[in-house]
Amino acid sequence: MGIEVKNLKKSFDNKTIIDDISFKVDDGRILSIVGFSGSGKSTVLKLISGLLEKDSGEIITSGGDVAMVFQYSALFDSLNVFDNISFALQERKDLRNKYTRKELEKIVAEKLELVGLSGIEEKFPSELSGGMQKRVSFARAIVTEPKIILYDEPTAGLDPISSTLIEDYIVRLKNETNAASIVVTHQMSTIRRTSDSVLMLYNGKVVFEGTPDELCLENTDYTKQFVNATIDGPMKMN
Amino acid sequence: MKIYYQNTYTYKFLKLIAHQVKDFLSTLGDIIIYGLEFLKGLKHFNTTPKDIIEQCSRFAVSSLPITLTIVCMTSIIISMQVAEEMVKHGGGNFIGMLMAILTVREEGAIMSGFAIISMIGSSLASEIATMKVTEQIDAISVLKVNPVHYLFTPRIIAGTIMMPFVVILASTLGIIGGAIAANITSELPYKAYFDSVWFGLSLKDLYVCILKSISFGFAITLISCCCGLIAKDGAKGVGIATTKAVVWSFVSIVIIDLIFATAFFY
Repeated sequence: MGIEVKNLKKSFDNKTIIDDISFKVDDGRILSIVGFSGSGKSTVLKLISGLLEKDSGEIITSGGDVAMVFQYSALFDSLNVFDNISFALQERKDLRNKYTRKELEKIVAEKLELVGLSGIEEKFPSELSGGMQKRVSFARAIVTEPKIILYDEPTAGLDPISSTLIEDYIVRLKNETNAASIVVTHQMSTIRRTSDSVLMLYNGKVVFEGTPDELCLENTDYTKQFVNATIDGPMKMN
Repeated sequence: MKIYYQNTYTYKFLKLIAHQVKDFLSTLGDIIIYGLEFLKGLKHFNTTPKDIIEQCSRFAVSSLPITLTIVCMTSIIISMQVAEEMVKHGGGNFIGMLMAILTVREEGAIMSGFAIISMIGSSLASEIATMKVTEQIDAISVLKVNPVHYLFTPRIIAGTIMMPFVVILASTLGIIGGAIAANITSELPYKAYFDSVWFGLSLKDLYVCILKSISFGFAITLISCCCGLIAKDGAKGVGIATTKAVVWSFVSIVIIDLIFATAFFY
């Protein structure tokens, strides 16, 4: 079933940020949310992950954990990679004491292998490159076997090759976990390489919904402006 | 008409006052809410001894040299100033008593508190504030771990345990410093000084000092952690959170001190 969002609304200080948006992502599918900075994309992720309270609407999930990969990884810089990845298993009320140290080591090694970073358990985040930090944050996100994975601008600040690698891992994680994934991004390459469907937001409203191919082909003013990256068009920067 | 009022100094002044009052009440509310959340979390205590020892060593090792220096120097300065006058007026035999009461009841705890706020409180607030603005706190929440329980518990427990040790050590050194200063400036024999120290101190002084230190340790760590957790707006927010932690901790320990003085010695 994945996740279904119905008539979601959110305002801050009387300013509407999310204005009645609805969408659905099935298990094993990836939805990209695109739009200008400040269009409400990250707010949608924060509402789904529970970091923000919605004003109204419904967020229906098939149960299980919701994981989130943050824009700048948000690894705990005082903990090494092992403790970062196993954090939820060691600290969460319902999971702590469930695993022995040996089992934790095995789980962490598996997750690190999945993101192509075997053997870096003892390193600290400051010793890793931006791309590696991002992949460690992927491993941390999937450690509890989530049913929904949220990515907040996963390729932000990375070089094109690292971005491609990250995009491949997003697809790989989807295949491994069969989770419903939502990727907030600005990059056309991320949309093309990872997504099954695309949602474009402007001023908190959905202005386009379709596949990546339709985004490129459909000739609405919004899609044309986004794909061609032009200043002129219906979407104005605040 | 509306624009006219908004440009007046009175309007801007009142707006600034209103903003300050709102900020004060909101910070106070956050401290109370997070304080209660911390106490609630003690029921599901999950902090390992390793975490607490780590925080204790941070508390003691990084703050002890500066705390001992401040308390000892303050005692030396006070002793230098009063010893000569007291000896001149025939009260030389009471210098030890005066210094002991002053140090154990007030100076040791309050000066140690100030030193701990500067060294530990500011460090806790900036550490947690940095975690907040780099989304590490959000990451903790998304992983379904309560950030208040996870971050506050080892720090507050360490502060509450370590503060009395720091204060007792600092007060002892303060009394010794006072003896050395009195001996150098007024040639007061050490025996006369220490005889009157025991004469002046009671058991009540000692347990009030310990209770007060525990309260100081709790207040400083709780306020510093809270101020860190409510930080926002990037690097500027970290600076604001740290300043707020220091100011609120200073004010809180002075208020606690006043409450103790009124309750036990008035």
